[in-house]
Amino acid sequence: MNIRGNDVLRQKLASEYVLGTLKGGARRRFEGWLHNDADLRHITAEWRQRLEPMAEFATPVTPPRRVWRQIEQRLHLSPQGGWSLWRDSLSFWRSLGMASSALAALLVVVMAMRLFDAPQIAYVASLTDEKSQAVMLATADSRHGALEVRMVGNAPVPSDRDLELWAVPKSGNPRSLGLLADKGSVKLALTERALGSDVALLAVTLEPKGGSPDPNGPTGPVLYKGNWVKL
Amino acid sequence: MSPDAPTFDPQQLKAWLLAAGKRDAVAFRQLYNATSSKLFGFALRILHKQELAEEALQEGFVAIWNNAATYQSHLAAPMTWMATIVRNKAFDVLRRSDDTVEIDAEQFDGEVMNALKDPQATPIEALQMSGDAKALAYCMSALEGLHRQVIALAYYHDLSHSEVAQQMALPIGTVKTWIRRSLERLRTCLAKREAP
Repeated sequence: MNIRGNDVLRQKLASEYVLGTLKGGARRRFEGWLHNDADLRHITAEWRQRLEPMAEFATPVTPPRRVWRQIEQRLHLSPQGGWSLWRDSLSFWRSLGMASSALAALLVVVMAMRLFDAPQIAYVASLTDEKSQAVMLATADSRHGALEVRMVGNAPVPSDRDLELWAVPKSGNPRSLGLLADKGSVKLALTERALGSDVALLAVTLEPKGGSPDPNGPTGPVLYKGNWVKL
Repeated sequence: MSPDAPTFDPQQLKAWLLAAGKRDAVAFRQLYNATSSKLFGFALRILHKQELAEEALQEGFVAIWNNAATYQSHLAAPMTWMATIVRNKAFDVLRRSDDTVEIDAEQFDGEVMNALKDPQATPIEALQMSGDAKALAYCMSALEGLHRQVIALAYYHDLSHSEVAQQMALPIGTVKTWIRRSLERLRTCLAKREAP
């Protein structure tokens, strides 16, 4: 059978192919024609665009969290492997060493600040980018229970992303400390999550709006990091 | 992840889908967050059973990730493309399982059903769906109730003409005619709505 030139038939077959009522041999034959008939493919795509939105007539139901976890596992999207790999890599610890001179300069500033009473700075970190440029300064004020993160460099963030601050322990999952602004400074609550003696460093990752959807840690790349130093 | 605030901005979905095609896992996660409740509701509508619908959704999103690089935005809206995949996976899951799905007479869920029956009382504009789906809902509301039901039976349950005929206790010739006419009417109606 030749259906070229018979527009009425082509429309009918394409529409019933999309709807699903074209079955068996007729369906297979139609799929054969689709292969070498670009116009028929186009007609079929148009029918899809017309009928497939019927999918949205169903009431939305939030799927259980396990569905995403399974998808993540099957596609190896889980950040877990990447995260520990990153932390354990030699170059990472080396880069922290390179940032230490920046930290020394920072300490002078912080020590000076302490003279004027005000906050009681218990911990400090200079968060640097991959080129060891300082981008943020994090200070823990134990007197006021505040964790302040001040931008000292440029930290551009796409409008559909957020920066998230993490306390990274020597082992186990990173702990979220909160979301950051891309300029100015942010005051977060200072909790045990940040003060645990096992916390080696702070890190900032790029996450979806609202922060990492994974309760076990970050999903996005590490942008900035620095030693969390007790004073 | 807020199930109450699904994003149906096609441009945003398109951007995430294209990024997923370039292996951006964060964009893929956002695409999932924005569309999974709609697509899970759809899979549940087809399969009725929670575990089967979860399987279809999982298979669907694995295929969406694996095929995102082949997505052609000029051929299909993102929701259309993803719904096609999830629908096919749902029918695959059904064929693999020993379960038979119950087919109920009412093919649409409450609010949409009301809007299709009486758009004056339940405005289609107020429904939470994309512009494409609203246009289709408007055109389907202009069909006769039984014709609408025949189309929905075929679409949601992958039925043949004779299966629809059996289900509705109608002669197969009638079913064929109704489907053909309804599809023609939908095409004309949608074309009119698209015209400026």
